[in-house]
Amino acid sequence: MKNPPFVYHQAHSLSEAIELLATYGEDGKVLAGGQSLLPTMALRLGPPEHVIDISAVPDLDTIGLDADGGVSLGALVRHAEAERSDDVRRLAPLISEAMPHVGHRAIRTRGTVVGSIAHADPAAEMPAVCLATGATMIAASSQGERTIPAAEFFDGYLTTALRPDELLTHVKFPAWSAQSGGAVVEVSRRHGDYALAGLACRVDLSGDAVTDAALAFFGVDSTPVRVPEAEAALVGKPPTAEAFAEAASIVSTTLTPTADIHGSTNYRRHLAGVLTTRGLKTAASRIGVSA
Amino acid sequence: MTSTDHTQTSGLGFVGQSVKRVEDDRLLRGHGSYVADVTPEGVLHAHFVRSTVAHANIARIDVAAARRAPGVVKVITGAEMKELTNPFPPFMMLPNMYTPLYWALSDDKVRLVGDPVAIIVAESRYLAEDAAQLVEIDYEPLTPVASISDAFNSSKDQLWEKADGNVLFDNTDTFGDIDSVFADADRIVTERFSCQRQSNQPMETRGTVVEVDPESQHLTITNATQSSHALRWIIAALTGKQSTATSLKSFVTNKERRTNLLAGLKAFVDEHSEDLAKADNAGAVSQFKKDKSFPLHLNRISANLAGKTDYPTVVAQDIGGGFGAKGSIAREDIAVAVAAIELGRSVKWIEDRVENLIDGGQAREEDLTVSIALDNDGTFRGLKVDLIMDQGAYPGFPIGAAFITQVMKVMYPGSYKWDAFQVTTKVVCTNKGKYIAYRGPWANETWVRERIIDIAARALRMSPTDLRLKNMIGEADMPTEMITGPTLDVTMSTRKCLERLVYEMDVPAFEAKRAAAAEEGRVLGLGFACFHEAAPGPPNYMDAINPGSGAASDEKARTVVQADGSVKIYTPQMPHGQSHETTYAQIAADELGVNIDDIELIWGNTDKTNFSAIGTGGSRGGPIGGGSVKYGTRELRKLIAAKAADMLEASVDDIEITGGNIHVAGVPSRGLSFAEVAQAKVGESAPGATEAFEATVNYRGKGDGGWSCAAHACVVEVDLDTGLVSIPRYVVVEDCGPIINPAIVDGQVRGGVAQGIGAVLYEGLSYDADANIQTTTYMDYLVPTAMEIPEIDIVHLETLSPGENDFRGVGEGGMIGAPAALTNAIEDALASRGARVTKQYLPPTTILEMAGVIDPDPNSDR
Repeated sequence: MKNPPFVYHQAHSLSEAIELLATYGEDGKVLAGGQSLLPTMALRLGPPEHVIDISAVPDLDTIGLDADGGVSLGALVRHAEAERSDDVRRLAPLISEAMPHVGHRAIRTRGTVVGSIAHADPAAEMPAVCLATGATMIAASSQGERTIPAAEFFDGYLTTALRPDELLTHVKFPAWSAQSGGAVVEVSRRHGDYALAGLACRVDLSGDAVTDAALAFFGVDSTPVRVPEAEAALVGKPPTAEAFAEAASIVSTTLTPTADIHGSTNYRRHLAGVLTTRGLKTAASRIGVSA
Repeated sequence: MTSTDHTQTSGLGFVGQSVKRVEDDRLLRGHGSYVADVTPEGVLHAHFVRSTVAHANIARIDVAAARRAPGVVKVITGAEMKELTNPFPPFMMLPNMYTPLYWALSDDKVRLVGDPVAIIVAESRYLAEDAAQLVEIDYEPLTPVASISDAFNSSKDQLWEKADGNVLFDNTDTFGDIDSVFADADRIVTERFSCQRQSNQPMETRGTVVEVDPESQHLTITNATQSSHALRWIIAALTGKQSTATSLKSFVTNKERRTNLLAGLKAFVDEHSEDLAKADNAGAVSQFKKDKSFPLHLNRISANLAGKTDYPTVVAQDIGGGFGAKGSIAREDIAVAVAAIELGRSVKWIEDRVENLIDGGQAREEDLTVSIALDNDGTFRGLKVDLIMDQGAYPGFPIGAAFITQVMKVMYPGSYKWDAFQVTTKVVCTNKGKYIAYRGPWANETWVRERIIDIAARALRMSPTDLRLKNMIGEADMPTEMITGPTLDVTMSTRKCLERLVYEMDVPAFEAKRAAAAEEGRVLGLGFACFHEAAPGPPNYMDAINPGSGAASDEKARTVVQADGSVKIYTPQMPHGQSHETTYAQIAADELGVNIDDIELIWGNTDKTNFSAIGTGGSRGGPIGGGSVKYGTRELRKLIAAKAADMLEASVDDIEITGGNIHVAGVPSRGLSFAEVAQAKVGESAPGATEAFEATVNYRGKGDGGWSCAAHACVVEVDLDTGLVSIPRYVVVEDCGPIINPAIVDGQVRGGVAQGIGAVLYEGLSYDADANIQTTTYMDYLVPTAMEIPEIDIVHLETLSPGENDFRGVGEGGMIGAPAALTNAIEDALASRGARVTKQYLPPTTILEMAGVIDPDPNSDR
């Protein structure tokens, strides 16, 4: 369990990081917090030949307040920093909801939020939070900067729309409405384990009725997934236990999670329904509605 | 119970008090010394090339590129290893059992994913692992044997050529007239249980550092072992292979060696003649019928031991847990030693966690069909068990299927009265990691017995505790014996434990709580289980398992007052978490009249400690190891008192020792220190003497018994939405006799219960249909953490039996009781939904399937 030889590159600026990725990106990996990359390398599971360390790149460790009222997290913002941030709690509360579920405290101290998104583990919380909030990915390469909506970012198991020469420099979370309630709920076998199934959800209310809803599940497929049929079923209805139960039932019949040694397909399908009810109830309570 | 300082002030003695652990300061500050901390200058690093397939013949192995790789100094293949070593012999042979012989590395065939086929020694572990990727192996696949049912499927390929298929043992033992008891009883309740494969998982993995003296070639081996002397002898026996003739020639021509060895052998035989007379050779005959080469190898091994003049020194210091795993002597231990011998250089190997999960030791995978015959009034009549144990590919050594099945055989009847008992035992081999002893290795006897009793109670509509107590042996029945042979004396106090636990749990109050919870849609359950265990058991306990094996159980502590007055105790025990430094200091300090910090315990180094075949294991540390310390220091005190009496011109009977002050009774102000008495004694000896007084006592236990008992109960809440189980209350009533240190006993009980909870809710090794292991990291093999383990309340009963040194072992019981109590509670919670718990492993999916909340996946084998 010792990593094989690799070439280590340290980038001291964004332009240097982008240059290194242009040269070595095909056989390389970006190192930020290293919480997923380094164990994978030690297990010699398709290890990269080049490791491009961005930890010395200036200005990527900031939580930026955007003009539209949202927040942008730089590629070096640690989970723990996001967890502690009042700005994040105020402007992107779904991130704050997710943080306590991410691994253990030691992992959150080193691991980065953006790194977790770029790694795209389907059982991780943050990719689902991106889907539920409609986050925007900002990727830089020698060809310039481009933005990718979260809905188009997660392609498959540990696979994203990022090109090998691109660095995910920031993830921008849009302004959170006062009419939005959010929750991140999950069930794992032990404290800190990857979820057997989890849900990042958002409900928007106007008057007595749901005007919009997002149900983004993790741990149930090869990417985080939304269930538009269940979301649509909520819209226009009051946020009641009955409405949530109907959405849960749609979720359970729509999803076909993969079985593994920790849970069967039927179990995860059932659990997704349970989490729908629990998540929506919590989300509604965040804006003072008890269902 | 509050912790106690290391200086005696109350006059009550240290034994019985929660003296603060001597070990903690060193270990908690990171000053422990583990194998990985030992890095001799110029040491080389070993890595094993392991099979990537479960079952195959090796058509070709090419290590040429690995030999040329940067930093590589040696590659030894399986074929080369076979020339350099003797095979692992069967340790315990039983009639109708075949134990395959195997070598440190595999040469022509691999039998599990992870089977070591070559060892690479390089300048660093990184370089060794790089080189391993250059080894080319052509496998000719054989059909994988991935399960117990595969092992009985004759279309699957055979792991061991000389076996009958993949079944290595098939034997039935009957006690009493089983057929008429079963015919006569009012009803028979039968259920088939299965227990998943688990792993010991010590925090520190295995590891060994073999240092070679450049002048003498003497080996010094630092190893994470529970049994340093056994390791020393086995490495001497299996390495440096030579022909029997060469060995015997060396033995015959070396008069000193011959004389010493024969004298040692004679002394051992004399000392243990009674035990040895009970042994028979029926098992060896079975073995020989299957494998005619077996005597040749055994002769070579014996001759090798006789012919050698230099055995390795095994050193072991701090050990990060073992739970039985480090009582095993592994193929890697031999291979690393051979690499060092061949190179004449020091070699280090630290097992990584993936290796540890693949083949560091596995346990418990058993199918058990149990029938209980009972009358309608609840009277137990007869018990039948049909066990199939999956021992994996290679036999555990020295403790494996042979020993563990026989302990199970003796213990199935538990603390109850039976008219008859029958057990059929089958052992099969599969393409999995080796089955070894894991804390309470026989524990499934308790699990299935206590499960079937709950199932029978439900069938009879009786309270499960009433049913147990109705049939349980109590003091009024004593002296008596288990139907399988061992004597039961007053130390078998299971009945008292259970009666107390019934009081603690207040069943009517629980039922009220359960009803109130049900109103809120919450589901509660309550489960009990109880057992007794040998700790270390009466003399006829070992005879019931394997006649004559009691010869291995005695132990010699050497106790010394140094010239400077300090006290040293040399024990053959191998502490690996049991707090020997504290408890032995308590015993010794009370005998000698000194303080805790005056005692230094020395262990692990085979040059300094007396031989013990076992080391630490089998709940012997308190009663046997502690007894040898007690009587050793008692002898030592006599020597000190005699010398002090001379110096003080007093009668030895008037000498008292308190807080290290040796004085005449009533005049402590005119006392002598240990240093003064020791100096005076050394002054009479030859110049340079470092030891003033010395006493060594051989101890075999107090001779009349020694059971530890416990009753466990827990309350569970099952979340029918998620399948998660929480444990709001867990209570253990335990009785290990007089307690040396209550805080340490609590720690042992809680640690065992934690592993038992792990066994039910978290820990399952998993293999796919092709016998590929799927649980190779801690993301998939889930060891419970502090977050998952509830508060565990403990009530101590301290039943005394006549005579001194009445301590009984307590290390294993937590693990024995917990799976039974927890699965009984879960079934109780779900019984109204028709659930019956037949598996030990109950992950959330299984819980919801049992509760009828979800259906099993189509085509699922769960």
